[in-house]
Amino acid sequence: MREKPENRLARIVDDLLRGRRLRLRAGDAEEKDAIIAAARLAAARQGPQRMSPAFRRRLAQILESTPQESWLTRRAALVAGLGVAAGALAGGVVGRTLSESGALAPQTALPPVLPVNGTWTDVGALADFAEGQGRLVKAGAVGAFVFRRDGSVTAVTSMCSHLPCELWWDKGGAVLACPCHPVSFDSEGKPSSQAYALPALNEVKARVTAEGRVEVLGT
Amino acid sequence: MTVDRGRPDDAGAPSEQGEVVELPSATRAVDIALDELELVYAFIYARVGNRADAEDLTQQVALKAFPRLRQGAPPSAIRGYLFATARSVLGAFWSMRLGLSQAELHEDLALAVPPGPPSDESTERAQRILAALSDNYRRVLELRFLHGYSLKEVAAEMRSTVGAVKVMQLRALRAAAKVDPDA
Repeated sequence: MREKPENRLARIVDDLLRGRRLRLRAGDAEEKDAIIAAARLAAARQGPQRMSPAFRRRLAQILESTPQESWLTRRAALVAGLGVAAGALAGGVVGRTLSESGALAPQTALPPVLPVNGTWTDVGALADFAEGQGRLVKAGAVGAFVFRRDGSVTAVTSMCSHLPCELWWDKGGAVLACPCHPVSFDSEGKPSSQAYALPALNEVKARVTAEGRVEVLGT
Repeated sequence: MTVDRGRPDDAGAPSEQGEVVELPSATRAVDIALDELELVYAFIYARVGNRADAEDLTQQVALKAFPRLRQGAPPSAIRGYLFATARSVLGAFWSMRLGLSQAELHEDLALAVPPGPPSDESTERAQRILAALSDNYRRVLELRFLHGYSLKEVAAEMRSTVGAVKVMQLRALRAAAKVDPDA
């Protein structure tokens, strides 16, 4: 049964007041303005916040191990500044600007996963794969999402290209979503959010045998 | 640490003649980035209302922006770039959590870059929002968000039922979303 909007909001407010993460579900978008207002009121209750010492230390460790691989050009800085007015578009615009200078990670399909001494692993009958729907399979140490298109299949790695988390198939959005941060990829492995530039997913080799079985190149 | 915080309006147009912070070592670059990320964290926390999400999003901002900051960049440019990244990350966060495109989101991400350390700005904004609501709506939100009352406690205080308080809370939050605290 569809949850009443007042119950959905009550659940979200309870979470916020207990300091929990925002756990939103399908249908919550209808109340997006109320949810955003609730998040801001919950923050106001806590007053101005500073990073905890533990988080600051963790962030310092991460930054110290992150190479400063490119330079913020004057143009990129100007574009970033324009983001103040451009809002959500800023990330995309900055991304494109940096791309022109060669600093942005590639968004086209990355090379396939080719394990040393790889072996073709049977992951099921073609008939078990729904058209256009991602299905998580394991071929030894290789995890992959397999997509059926007519009589053939394609596959991409199941690991996010940014944080080492296993993706999940979001049937509603028809995307591979990362549980660790708000990014997603389409069935070809391309990042679907222009505002969040990431490398594409690596391709995983997959094929259909003459017997109608799906095989993935794994370990 | 003596870092010129710059003026907020600097962020939109960093000058080539702007003051340059000398960063003699990588550690110093990290220190300066961390000081700026404190502001980013407060900015994000004020919008997501919980520590876990605020930490994740701040980390994303750091990972995205830090490799592209150069030693010797004007502080105003560093801050402008970090906040542009923060807006992008926040937009993606709400978009992903709510399953909406960023165009549908209409989240107010176009706010000025804060000029200094975290302030009571979000608390003052909340007070202005609450002041603009009807008595019942203000009361239910004050009891829930400012005093931390449970729904049951609010119902007892307002001589109502939990079900009625839930409905009032929803309507009050819808009304709060329509208030422009800067008007």
